[in-house]
Amino acid sequence: MPSLIQDHAVVARLLSAHTPPALAEVRERAYQAFAAVGMPTTKDEEFRYVSLRALDEGGFGPAYGANVDRQETEAAPLGGLDAINVTFVNGQHAPEVSGFDDLPDGVFVGTLADAFAANAERVMAHLGKVATLQGKLGSTNDERFVHLNTAYLGEGAFVYVPRGIALARPIHLRFLTKADHGPLAVFPRVLIVLEDGAVAKVVESYGHLKGVAFVAPVTEIVLGRDANLELTRAQLEGDDTMHVSNTAIHQASGSTITHNNLNLGGRVVRHDVNVWLDGEHTETWLNGASVGRRDMVIDNHTRIDHAKPNCHSFETYKSILDDESTGVFNGKIFVYEDAQKTDAKQTNQGLLLSAKATFNTKPQLEIFADDVKCTHGATVGQLREDALFYLRARGVPKAQAESLLVYAFAAEVFEKVTVTDAKDALEAILFERLGTQA
Amino acid sequence: MLTISNLHARVEEKTILRGIDLTINAGEVHAIMGPNGSGKSTLASILAGRDDYEVTEGSVDFEGEDLLDMDPETRAAEGLFLAFQYPVEIPGVTNSYFLRAALNNIRKHRGEAELSMMEFMKHIRSKVAQMELSSDLLSRSVNEGFSGGEKKRNEIFQMAVLEPKLCVLDETDSGLDIDALKVVANGVNTLRSPERAVLVITHYQRLLDYITPDFVHVLMGGRIVKSGGRELALELEAKGYGFIEEELVAKA
Repeated sequence: MPSLIQDHAVVARLLSAHTPPALAEVRERAYQAFAAVGMPTTKDEEFRYVSLRALDEGGFGPAYGANVDRQETEAAPLGGLDAINVTFVNGQHAPEVSGFDDLPDGVFVGTLADAFAANAERVMAHLGKVATLQGKLGSTNDERFVHLNTAYLGEGAFVYVPRGIALARPIHLRFLTKADHGPLAVFPRVLIVLEDGAVAKVVESYGHLKGVAFVAPVTEIVLGRDANLELTRAQLEGDDTMHVSNTAIHQASGSTITHNNLNLGGRVVRHDVNVWLDGEHTETWLNGASVGRRDMVIDNHTRIDHAKPNCHSFETYKSILDDESTGVFNGKIFVYEDAQKTDAKQTNQGLLLSAKATFNTKPQLEIFADDVKCTHGATVGQLREDALFYLRARGVPKAQAESLLVYAFAAEVFEKVTVTDAKDALEAILFERLGTQA
Repeated sequence: MLTISNLHARVEEKTILRGIDLTINAGEVHAIMGPNGSGKSTLASILAGRDDYEVTEGSVDFEGEDLLDMDPETRAAEGLFLAFQYPVEIPGVTNSYFLRAALNNIRKHRGEAELSMMEFMKHIRSKVAQMELSSDLLSRSVNEGFSGGEKKRNEIFQMAVLEPKLCVLDETDSGLDIDALKVVANGVNTLRSPERAVLVITHYQRLLDYITPDFVHVLMGGRIVKSGGRELALELEAKGYGFIEEELVAKA
């Protein structure tokens, strides 16, 4: 048994204290499901490029809360956002650095624990029901890290926006790790529910204060009819963080999701986003940008299930890879038999800044309807010499010209973030990662 | 200002320039004309610092410094500007951001204060109008989706903003209709001054109707084979490059 889960029974007992009784069984089933398969190896097709051996060998223990103060968390990346803020440190809510008062009537933004206390039924109606591939096409998807997270399900964030409410202020769900007692493992959980016609912008960020951590979040999103969510996921963790995460999105008719997935930190990073289109005339925007340095591995898997007719999905994933880093993109699109008039567009581009960086891209389209428009394109390249020379010939020094061009490569994705101070902060982090100032 | 001496250059194994000698003084406008493949654009590229070419012999002195020893960005900062024959499209980099970065680096090199976005906008406003560019073009990506004429006008606009000492125009007239040609020529003429020199590289003499050169040089086979005044361009227009070849054969 991996050391990672050997303390499961102890942790599960602690979680039972503040979670609905029904969850105990959910945790136990998930634990059994994970224990049965264990950690994937690179022999597993879905994890070919991601070596997670360190998780078995690294002595990761359960996380305990850590002391933090406002100064410390505000100094960390994305610390100063003007937003409704729910911050977790080592998986536990940190009320001293959070702020979520003065919400409009009926809106809930806070912890799962508080949400269970306030209205457990509302949470349980969706929790664990979105992040599943049961009844969906295909057999190659691997859900073991959803199981692993669910085995520890109990703490996390809950956002609920009732019918017709447009939330003016953005929400920042912030997960920080501070591993000052050896390597730790955390399993954050997020559930976002937008009822019919609700509108919200959420920044979901993963940051790092100290030490070695394994972070394995699951985020579930439920969008009612005509709901509109912009979710910017900023993974900004430390050089020693392993991050394996899953985002699952369920869209009803007429709803729109803009998912901006920015991977700017970590050592081994794997993220799956699965979208289930369960109504007509939906819009799905999946935007991704990642920056790999050193020997980082950044592996993005996306899956869009076009289960109903007349839905549009637009997907743009970009990888910037320097040093000896590895980038992976796997984009699955399933168009179900009934999903006529589907319009799905997938673009994936890799930019190699070093001769030792590698990029692996694999579009996987499975189409069972006959009247659909599905396109995909993947390119891998280096910085354009002609553009670099043009900038330099006008007086822009080489290093600045290079970072301008790298930024330009990723700009299309960063521009999708409309929470302005988040966008500015993320761009600054990007430039810093590229080793130059804007 | 610029002294090119015995310049030889090749690309891969192919020798293109076979001994160019040319001196340009401040205040002068020179035109280099020549048939396709004579080495005109190679010369422009070498002056700007493109590294596809290997200089095998000779030297280029710019304001007392060894030009060939400088990075492209240093050449620009020292006051050399090349208007590209094929301006490059750079999606994702806006014109104004790029141009301010370029200008501020040049100013820094000269020991001048950098311009804020506001000061920069003030600096360029009249130049945008003069080149008949729409101001929304500033917020668009560099040359992306520009028409051929817009790209060339953008080159001259950038030149006006950066205020170089030596302007090199590489076939700026190619692909321009007569109206755009006048705008471009007008832009260049505005920049003419006793401190500044211009080198116009062109296949046709048409542009020289609007930018009157002091000297005209004919480049053939990698050498300047004939130099003269304004009238040489007209003679070339009337007789074609053939007559020079005949002259050369007769001399030999």
